[in-house]
Amino acid sequence: MMMTEHAGKSLLLSYGVPVPHGLLVRNAAQVRRWGDVYPAAIKAQVSSGGRGKAGGVLRVAHPQEAAAAAQRLLALEFAGERPSTLLIEPWIEHTRELYLALTIDGEAGGYSVLYAPAGGIEVEDNPPIRYGFGEPADFRAHVLRDRLGPVEQDAGVRERVVAMARRLLFIATSVDATTVEINPLAVLPDGKLLALDAKVVLDEAAAFRQAATAAERVKARRREPRMVQRALAGNLMMVALDGDIGLISGGAGMTMAGMDMLAAAGLKPACFLDCSSNPTPAGYQLAFDLLDGERRVKAILVSIFGGGTQVDRVAKTLEAIMAARRSRKPVVIRINGTGRERADAILRDAGLYNQPTLESALEAMIAAVPPR
Amino acid sequence: MSVLIDASSRMLIYGIAGNFGRFSARDLVASGSTVVAGVAPGRGEAAVEGIPVFMDARTACRSTDASAAIVYVPAPAALDAVLEVLDAGCKVVVYPGDGLPVQDAIALRSAARRCGATLVGPNTPGLISPGKAKLGFMPSHCFIPGPLGVVSRSGSLSYEAAWRLTSAGLGQSCAIGIGGDPVKGLNAAEAIELLHADPETQVIIYLGEIGGSDEYALARYAARAGAKPTAALIVGAAAPAGKKMGHAAALVGSALDSQAAKVEALRAAGVHVADTLRNLVPAARAAL
Repeated sequence: MMMTEHAGKSLLLSYGVPVPHGLLVRNAAQVRRWGDVYPAAIKAQVSSGGRGKAGGVLRVAHPQEAAAAAQRLLALEFAGERPSTLLIEPWIEHTRELYLALTIDGEAGGYSVLYAPAGGIEVEDNPPIRYGFGEPADFRAHVLRDRLGPVEQDAGVRERVVAMARRLLFIATSVDATTVEINPLAVLPDGKLLALDAKVVLDEAAAFRQAATAAERVKARRREPRMVQRALAGNLMMVALDGDIGLISGGAGMTMAGMDMLAAAGLKPACFLDCSSNPTPAGYQLAFDLLDGERRVKAILVSIFGGGTQVDRVAKTLEAIMAARRSRKPVVIRINGTGRERADAILRDAGLYNQPTLESALEAMIAAVPPR
Repeated sequence: MSVLIDASSRMLIYGIAGNFGRFSARDLVASGSTVVAGVAPGRGEAAVEGIPVFMDARTACRSTDASAAIVYVPAPAALDAVLEVLDAGCKVVVYPGDGLPVQDAIALRSAARRCGATLVGPNTPGLISPGKAKLGFMPSHCFIPGPLGVVSRSGSLSYEAAWRLTSAGLGQSCAIGIGGDPVKGLNAAEAIELLHADPETQVIIYLGEIGGSDEYALARYAARAGAKPTAALIVGAAAPAGKKMGHAAALVGSALDSQAAKVEALRAAGVHVADTLRNLVPAARAAL
């Protein structure tokens, strides 16, 4: 869950990382409050990366230009999100732009520091060097200094970067962040560092002990489509897709495998919907309600391979849901796993058919809803 | 000894008195595993499903010689519960729960290493050596003994895959769920090394997905001299970029995260790759 730049910078500042003094505005009229510090940078506040390349940062020379830029930025969309706020900052003279990040690294079994002597929006073309140290207690400033040696010739910058990396690690562990990235990290004429941007990604799983993360999650959910909001509120994992086959599944891998099988058969999944986090009658009822209520969904495939989810219980739930269901959208069921034999009997007695394989389920789906 | 557990493994269930702990106790006993102890701090029960229950892991291990554990507690309690079973001397520990903060996963991975133990998880159904033992909750009927060593990032997908392999007569030496989180107690490279060293494993089957770099560990293994034959299924071709697909690590952020990039890298390294479940059994046969 990515914080906006302004929220990220406020966090960095509270831990002693220097950032420019900016002003957050909600509309073009509020730009007047900025006074007459020009030139200035005016920046869209969104929760996705690639903003700079998408034209979300503009340099403005006077108040009229700033108001026009604000209007333009507030009308743009960044990865489907329209910014609700803009950040205005003084345009800061600097001698160099660096890239510095602290991020989770699976191969290191923990954290890595990433550094590139030339930052900015094209940093991906010149990959940063990586110091993967794993757990926080294994971070060694002297090892990082050694790694920086070949790529950073300026010893003064090197020392400041090493100290900054230690600080980013402290921030990440304090707030449960999975990424704290500063790009660009400016070198000022006096040699000091200043964070011109901030990308902080919070670990959603830590919401139970981080009030700020819990609050960000509420905000992030409000940006989701209505159907997804209802699914998440009911403890189902859902991502909306643009197809017409509703997929009710369990487990991330199995759900993705089902999506792939649908796509390979010429059918289009309407969603990624993983019910394994709430495999209860209420959870499955919500899944059916969401898909039955969504007009573009033409049919529903129930594809569940349960281990901890006992599928005889799932079968009983499906029996009850199908008996009470008003929607006439076709439903194809394929469940297997713990309790499979009892599940088959329950479905058979209810007049429902449990497809033996995903392949046969897809054939039944194609017969019910022929692909166009 | 097969991989990590075998018929002589003495197992402990931490959190045995909850609904899931009880289900798992019945399921593990039915599968032939030797469950010698349960732990339920603060609960008054003496036994669950005939298994003696203790108030803490140290007493449980001292009293029963348990050396492998599966821990059923919610994520906020996982750090302390897993540290407790590690301190009690368990050398193989499964933490199946999802939603564990990454920082806790990092701490537990390090703690396990310091104790000379192996942590499997988080976000995993555990592991099974068919016909010998299971420390997890995968459906046992999907697995039969045989020469395939299976590594999977996804629980449900591993059941479907194993059921297909088993239905085709292709049994498994072992199936390890490494889990879908970015930081794992046992990562793909380490799981693959365990299977490489296991004399009963002839072929390594890897079940992966979009996001993260675990699949590239398989590519590196397959390209090295003396590697066992490998096959893989990589799911997530139909997933849109920039969206997290359930698993914390299943997100296409950069080009290397995509299903197509992974399939290409694995094929270039000599892995028999299936791009959907339909092609899994042929890929496994080709590797065998």
